[in-house]
Amino acid sequence: MNTYNYFEDNWLRNMTNNNSLFTPEEGFLKGNLFSSLYSQYKNYQPMTLKATNEREKFFLELSWVAFAAHELNLYLDVHPNDTSMITLFNDYRKKEMDLSRKYEEKYGALTVMSENSNDNQFSWEEENWPWERDMNV
Amino acid sequence: MFKYCKKLQYPINIKKKDLRLARYLITQYGGSNGELTAALRYLNQRYTMPDNVGKALLTDIGTEELAHVEMISTMIYQLMKGATVEEIKAAGLDTFYAEHAKALYPTDANGVPFTVAYFATTGDALADISEDMAAEQKARAVYENLIDLTDDPDVIGPLLWLRQREIVHYTRFKELFEYYEKKLKKGENEIVNKKPINNLNNSINNNFFPNMPLDGNNFFF
Repeated sequence: MNTYNYFEDNWLRNMTNNNSLFTPEEGFLKGNLFSSLYSQYKNYQPMTLKATNEREKFFLELSWVAFAAHELNLYLDVHPNDTSMITLFNDYRKKEMDLSRKYEEKYGALTVMSENSNDNQFSWEEENWPWERDMNV
Repeated sequence: MFKYCKKLQYPINIKKKDLRLARYLITQYGGSNGELTAALRYLNQRYTMPDNVGKALLTDIGTEELAHVEMISTMIYQLMKGATVEEIKAAGLDTFYAEHAKALYPTDANGVPFTVAYFATTGDALADISEDMAAEQKARAVYENLIDLTDDPDVIGPLLWLRQREIVHYTRFKELFEYYEKKLKKGENEIVNKKPINNLNNSINNNFFPNMPLDGNNFFF
């Protein structure tokens, strides 16, 4: 079985040279990519999310980059001329597209348009729906 | 258009059913400061934003709020899953059950059904965005109240996460407000509130707001 090696190569950390940003992983866990905006409630700590298998690892990484790209999207809406953030946004956006495609090839469609066209069957209904999940992450 | 992605923005995996908590949480689905109100507020206000900065931000945050509606709905669904009628009665959800059984239905914590009276659109960017900033702060406060009401880590985790989103959204709306305010000070107020200052022949503005008095007054200063 091909094991997916994004986890090993630490690209997530290398991408983030900007000190004001959390890494995509940390940002996703906290719900906030911008360290200067993060504000803790009482002494509650963010939930830790641990992948228990390859699929969950994959899914979690997809969630990290999707979140980072979305955070930068909102930031760029109001600061459209910030070139370093545009570069970072494009990195995460491409990573998200790449990870989505690879996840869907292996584990099933996330959108109806990404249905595997080689199949003769309609598998959109096979995957669980988000409110009755079979994953821990 | 909108496309559906079969994925929550942040995972919800509640293992322990808790009907009382479902009763409280539902307010962030169908209450005045809830996610559905937020989504509809921003997605209605976006059309009359003065330029693409406001249109983009309201579209993108409004879309994210739809993902939060799905998260809160999932939490309510999972908290009620497997509950017996006896348990539902004991938690005071019998009146809800009479109408909806265990189906989702947007109400506040007191069972008051969702209404669009919870939000406003004025066609005035600064007025609308001020409401949006307040809305994000109120939603943050409600999330804190809800966190205080539970000790289930599976519930606290997503609530903390959603609370943090309110803080980010508030910041972006504040930046948008300041951006439009600055434009106004620079004399670009026809861009901001679509009211001409001294140009009575401004055909675009006349067409947009034929009944608006062209009195040359600066509305804000």
